Amino acid sequence: MDTAKSLDSNLWVEHYGDALYRYTLVRVKNPDSSQEIVQVTLLAALQSQKSFAGRSSEKSWLFGILKHKILDHFRSLKIRRTYELSTDDDTNPYENEFDEMGHFINPPKKWQIDPQHAAENEELVLALAKCLDGLSEKFRYIFVLKEVEGMKSEDICKEMAIQPTNLWVILHRARNQLKKCLEANDWHRKQ
Amino acid sequence: MKPDTLMVKFIMKLSAWLNATCKDTGPLVSETMDHSLSFSKRWRMKFHLAICEACRQYVSQLKTLRALAERLGKEDAPADPRTKLSPEAKETIQQALKNFQ
Repeated sequence: MDTAKSLDSNLWVEHYGDALYRYTLVRVKNPDSSQEIVQVTLLAALQSQKSFAGRSSEKSWLFGILKHKILDHFRSLKIRRTYELSTDDDTNPYENEFDEMGHFINPPKKWQIDPQHAAENEELVLALAKCLDGLSEKFRYIFVLKEVEGMKSEDICKEMAIQPTNLWVILHRARNQLKKCLEANDWHRKQ
Repeated sequence: MKPDTLMVKFIMKLSAWLNATCKDTGPLVSETMDHSLSFSKRWRMKFHLAICEACRQYVSQLKTLRALAERLGKEDAPADPRTKLSPEAKETIQQALKNFQ
């Protein structure tokens, strides 16, 4: 396949710019950083046009490069701060919601949705995207790596240099905060 | 050790398992999504879930959360159409690409 013919870098920004940007923003949150990552990605793509084997579409190939660049961004953040759990981290929003016997004071509300079909509900997916922005930076990154990227726990611990027990606590708290945020949107009653 | 002492110990351990509270179970439910629990923790959680509707609800909610997050991670995830690169940002990137060529 003649790769020169199948790649047209002049059209990348117009054709894929917004899609690459949205994908990055879900993970990185900061619009300026996301824009910068899209730019770095397209420059890297330009540099490595020869590596485009034509086995995948131009779009998939660009997304492949983008994923690496996003991970590089996470790594660069790790150098500047620690991802271990510390005392000033967000607490579990359900901490005080148990009686002295350790049972729920207000049991979890029933969500009128089957987990197997949840992903089909686009409104809910967008609600989660909004709720993610309410998490602290540390919790957001770790939740994104685990649940949005689907990275293995061992790999996150290695990448972010944190202890497994800390990872589990952070994820538990992040999930509880997101759960509470989704419930605040009241969608579970609208189904 | 006498057999009856062993039996008492066993019953005490079993009862400790059965006495797991919702407060103990929440973190275990979350942890099962991140790593394999030890035999003891796993069964403690299972016993509690068998008798606690509220905690089964919690399991279902965390599964829903995972399904939503997974969908959000896809290249074709739903997005607010208003979320896009500004014309200035597009121009900046386009210029950077041109300068590089």
